[in-house]
Amino acid sequence: MAQPVIVKAGGCIVSPLATGTAANLEAVLSGRSGLRLHSGRWPGVEPFTGALFDEADLAARCAAAGLDSPRLTRFERLALLSATEALRGSGVDPSAADVIFILSSTKGNVGLLDDTAAAPADTERSLLPASAARIAAHFGNPNTPVVVCNACISGLSALITAARLLRAGRYRHAVVVGADCQSRFIVSGFQAFKALSPTACRPFDAARDGLNPGEASATLVLSACEPVDVPPGAWVLERGAVRNDANHISGPSRTGEGSFRALRAVCGDISPAQLAFVNTHGTATPYNDEMEAIALHRAGLADVPVNSLKGYYGHTMGAAGILEVLLSMEAAGRGIVLPTRGYRQSGVSRPLSLSDQARHTDRHAFVKVMSGFGGCNAAVRFSQEPAAPAPAPGTAAAVCLRTARIDSDGTVHTDRGTHPYAERGAALLTAIYRREVNDYPKFFKMDPLSRLGFLAAELLLAGDPGRFGPRDDRAVLLCSRTGSLCNDLRYVRTLQWPEAYFPSPAVFVYTLPNIVAGEIAIRNRYLGETSCFLLPADDTGVQAALAATAWADPATKSLVCGWIDCPDADHFTARMQLLQRTTTA
Amino acid sequence: MEELIQQLKEEIIQALNLEDLRPEDIDADAPLFGDGLGLDSIDALELIVLLEKNYGIRLADAAAGKEVFRSVRVMAEYVAAHRTK
Repeated sequence: MAQPVIVKAGGCIVSPLATGTAANLEAVLSGRSGLRLHSGRWPGVEPFTGALFDEADLAARCAAAGLDSPRLTRFERLALLSATEALRGSGVDPSAADVIFILSSTKGNVGLLDDTAAAPADTERSLLPASAARIAAHFGNPNTPVVVCNACISGLSALITAARLLRAGRYRHAVVVGADCQSRFIVSGFQAFKALSPTACRPFDAARDGLNPGEASATLVLSACEPVDVPPGAWVLERGAVRNDANHISGPSRTGEGSFRALRAVCGDISPAQLAFVNTHGTATPYNDEMEAIALHRAGLADVPVNSLKGYYGHTMGAAGILEVLLSMEAAGRGIVLPTRGYRQSGVSRPLSLSDQARHTDRHAFVKVMSGFGGCNAAVRFSQEPAAPAPAPGTAAAVCLRTARIDSDGTVHTDRGTHPYAERGAALLTAIYRREVNDYPKFFKMDPLSRLGFLAAELLLAGDPGRFGPRDDRAVLLCSRTGSLCNDLRYVRTLQWPEAYFPSPAVFVYTLPNIVAGEIAIRNRYLGETSCFLLPADDTGVQAALAATAWADPATKSLVCGWIDCPDADHFTARMQLLQRTTTA
Repeated sequence: MEELIQQLKEEIIQALNLEDLRPEDIDADAPLFGDGLGLDSIDALELIVLLEKNYGIRLADAAAGKEVFRSVRVMAEYVAAHRTK
């Protein structure tokens, strides 16, 4: 029996330019960009160039779609707009039990935490699983929705997770919704990082000086299909991979390590000449674009046309992976390599095939690659002429080698026994660090969630002979409910306008809950997959299903996984396991 | 100047969470970045915030910080010359 094939059943982009994937393609081909200068948008935020929705236009689009309920936030309306359109005509009944909703977002409703009109801040409403539940409930879907929160690679991570869940036979269809809204929270952080360009971004150009924030939503509906049933011309998700740089939580690897490894994993079985193009992350920051040029060269893709869409949409965060995949499909399907708006003269150390004009292609496959904070990188390959489907692999099984547990009430337990501590709450974590580690001062720079996850991994891996890498066969996969909430609130406290508006870059970087996975990868030098999922509850069944998806990557032989939750600095719980694959074929 | 150097050392330790360091562990003339204190690019950005918050000095970008953050003494001299609060 062959593996089911994962095909696109529907899709829709909702951006400041247009609603609908074809309408967005037309807008891009006619040279339109959503980028505008925004001055005085939020108190304290310096003028910036970004692609934001016009509020009246967005309200009209929502009203036309019947999505004007005051119970929905702006973020949820935006997400529902693309999901509703993508499902229309997909033949998928979203209320069916064989459909799973997967939400890709970096910060969702985080703007609610910074809403000075609402006091106290509605912390529960700001949590991504709450939004995912509303989106799934809107369609009457009975399954627990999964939130993929992997910084800027979230969209591709979500597609990869969806494909794995479908191949495992758990569901027949996945509605993968990517969305993010801009807010003072996000823009102030990127300004503190000195990562924003004051003008329209210039991907890969010699004059590039930063990225532009963008907002959008994009939904891709994926279906599992028997190989004989694949409709002609259907887009097939052939491969996907995530790899960590194990280098730095915000700076890309100078050798493009994770990006190169992710590209190699999705291109290793084909000739580069079969690709229409590689759609890059291409954020137009000096470091990102240089890193990608190096990674593309190392992966043997130097001669393949490449492009970046950031000059049209800005960086749409959790929507970016899905938006850029959908637009790439639409373009490749019409024989077009889209232009890189803002590119004139190469400003990277390795030559790439770039153009600010549309080019022709007669190839029917493309690769999309992204990189994000936490050192994560992801690549996927889609094709309209897929290779013969692979035989179904044996069911991957895993054995648990080690466990560790930390609770804020003082419970610290590993396979070596119970570790007695008199301390409680935040002081407990410092005490564990002093007793068990004590030579990694970076611990004190971490947010509470990262401290917790880092120490749970230290306890879990202490004495493991294969512990330290570099190794790319060990993945890190963590689940949480409140994610980075505790640190998000800490960041908001650095935004007291006008008396104390000093956005802290060191706090901002930890407002992404996948950073803890990156910290574990850096500490142990794990170059494998890293993932973070947010769930509405500590549901061990869903967590086991997500952990099992890790074995779909043939490179992964062992897995650090678990539940970490830290709603505030003094209340937390962590359960971690080291699993090992027992069957490979 | 020595008083300002001491004050900056304390502020740096606090702003960058250098938990295991005391002011006397930091050599005022040694490079802040590189091997010395193990600081990274995020620390450099945080020092830019420190200058603005405590001394009203705005640096345009991280590149400008490179010069100013050569050592605590250079930083102190820069603060003395440019502070607005």
